[in-house]
Amino acid sequence: MKKIKIISGIIWAFMALIIILILFPGLNSFSVALSKLPFMKINPNFAGGDAAFSYVQERCTLVVRKPVFDGLLSERKHGFVQLDWRGELPDVISDTIDFDRDGGSDFVVNLKRNDAVTVINPLSDLVTGLNVSVPTSYGWTVRVGLKRE
Amino acid sequence: MEKELVINGYRKSFGKSLLYTLPVFLITFVFMSGGRPDFSDPARLVALLVTFAGMNLLYFLMHYTGRTDRYRAILFIIFALSLSFTLISNIVQMRNSMSFSQSDIVECRIPFCHLVIPMMIIPAAFTKSIIFPGSIIGGFADISSMVILWLFATIALGRGFCSWGCFYGGWDDGFSRIRKKPLLKKISDSWKWMPFALLLMVMLTAAMTLVPTYCDWICPFKAVTEFEQVTDTESAIKAGIFISLFGGLVVALPVVTRKRTQCSFLCPLGAINTLSNKITPFTVKIDNEKCTKCYKCTTVCPLFALSREDVNGGRVSVFCSKCGKCVDVCPNNAIHFGIKGVPAGSFRNFSRNLFLFVSFIFISIFSAGSIINTIQSLLNFIIS
Amino acid sequence: MAESFILGLSSGSVCLVTCGMVMFPYMMARTAGAKAITADLAVFLATRFLVYALLATIVWFAGQSLLRSPVFTNYTSGFLYIVFSIMLIWYAIEKRPSKTCPAAVVAKIEKRKLVPVFLGVVNSLALCPSLLLILTKGATQATLGKSYLSFLGFFAGSSLWFLPVPAIGLVKKKNVIETVGIFATGLAGTIFIIKGILMLIR
Repeated sequence: MKKIKIISGIIWAFMALIIILILFPGLNSFSVALSKLPFMKINPNFAGGDAAFSYVQERCTLVVRKPVFDGLLSERKHGFVQLDWRGELPDVISDTIDFDRDGGSDFVVNLKRNDAVTVINPLSDLVTGLNVSVPTSYGWTVRVGLKRE
Repeated sequence: MEKELVINGYRKSFGKSLLYTLPVFLITFVFMSGGRPDFSDPARLVALLVTFAGMNLLYFLMHYTGRTDRYRAILFIIFALSLSFTLISNIVQMRNSMSFSQSDIVECRIPFCHLVIPMMIIPAAFTKSIIFPGSIIGGFADISSMVILWLFATIALGRGFCSWGCFYGGWDDGFSRIRKKPLLKKISDSWKWMPFALLLMVMLTAAMTLVPTYCDWICPFKAVTEFEQVTDTESAIKAGIFISLFGGLVVALPVVTRKRTQCSFLCPLGAINTLSNKITPFTVKIDNEKCTKCYKCTTVCPLFALSREDVNGGRVSVFCSKCGKCVDVCPNNAIHFGIKGVPAGSFRNFSRNLFLFVSFIFISIFSAGSIINTIQSLLNFIIS
Repeated sequence: MAESFILGLSSGSVCLVTCGMVMFPYMMARTAGAKAITADLAVFLATRFLVYALLATIVWFAGQSLLRSPVFTNYTSGFLYIVFSIMLIWYAIEKRPSKTCPAAVVAKIEKRKLVPVFLGVVNSLALCPSLLLILTKGATQATLGKSYLSFLGFFAGSSLWFLPVPAIGLVKKKNVIETVGIFATGLAGTIFIIKGILMLIR
């Protein structure tokens, strides 16, 4: 029994050596394999949710994402919808958004880029106001707070 | 010094030490240079050579002098400083500031570090997503690579990761070495259970809020990496917490206690690594036949892993990070690196050689990039 | 509800270690087999649940009649959060060798079947700072339903610790559980202090 313990301990120690030796040459392939696992995606509360639809405008495109209410076990009462303007943006933006595509406008977003002033005019009870409005590498992003129906 | 060398049982001859260094020499050369050194940038070449030579010298000295902790600590501290330097310079290059903004969060551009891992677990299981605004793969400090690095190192080294791989641990390890004698000697070792309580709290709060709460509210290393832009009272409170915890647990307490207080009393990943010590093959053993119960090891242990009860019981606790400080200080060579299943006192040199090889390969390759970058930047700065 | 769950979970371990040692040896000493222990535990937890439901109702109505203005509610609850959180941290770090269990009087009860009910009532009404915090939370909720949810979260978090009670005798290092629980309670207190401060400044 003592000998078995010693031998298995030493075998495990050599396996640890192999683990470290293959770690760095295989880091890229291991990382790619890990990144393909189903849970390896950024939570929509950070990533902003999947794109729902887009409006192609004169020199830019407005991408409206799916509303995000994600909680741990179920949806939360409060969430947001993210709007991304991509391309060459005008200095002043004013868009009326129907994020749930029910035919009725939900809010109007007025954005003055130079002054970094963003105003949300809610047209629906589900819209709570502005959460985030920031310049991004691709244009501008706004997150508008929502209540769940 | 000469007397110390004589009593140290792990000291090897010059030739034998060189022989032991040869495999590390070859492996580090291949990984640092990619097998083909780049001669086009002299500053980078010099940085690479200095790093390569320095690392191999440290490994050689570990064998030649028989001492572990002294040379490990040099590399470990340099790693912490250079990583912060590299991270800060990268961030400043990207954003012109050490603070990150809402844009960085929205675009998921925050560099990931291993301390987030405990908070990812529950949300990943329930929401099948990662609650961190970083990059899954590709880019600077992506999530997949960091998770793989930590996972492999933790399986192989257990809590040894905290002394041979964690690029934050070098900060309080460094500060704990500033004074020769501690000003504050009596600290209740029950504080070492605090990381478990914090682990429980951050895992739960992160799961409930889907926000990495430790990073958001507690992490003292925000002070030397990146932090949220101070725009309102809440972010000011957070910045105050980061700076106070850094000043208190990473600087002040290690200086006065000569202990790694942040690693011992706060780090929630340290708690997970402590548990992983149960699976790693490497450990530190006490040879009861040689131990004279002088308790020098309990005094120097920086992580409260050795109490008098542990020494009397002839075992080292799971809190051990295998830094080698107790092994170096033991006047009778009663404490030694060992392998689980192998009785204390047997295969001492073999166990030490194997452990040093595994852990040094890890820290040297992991740290090489940031050390080379730092030296290169310093050279460029001096030249310009 | 999430906060209440965390508060219950963090303070539940201390509650278990301080009271469980008094209560369960007594309960188990008199019961024959796991079935009877489970039945006792179920009665104990059901009693706690009912007491918390009652408390949720009382404090919410009290809160409605006393704290009508939302600004006042915010300031009052923020202030109470800070005070009770400091009490909670003090409760956690206080160096009394062993905290006394309010249910110690259980030994005096003669009628066997009433023991778990009595334990449930005493355990729920022990005025520890965690309960004071949850009372404050319940009193300042907008609806009675939310007050119930707060208490439900607290009940669920603290009850989790009692579920493995029949097996607690097997745990070797009870002092470790107690130490971790005490630290977790202190941390929960810190979280509520920050929450209180944010309520005051926002």
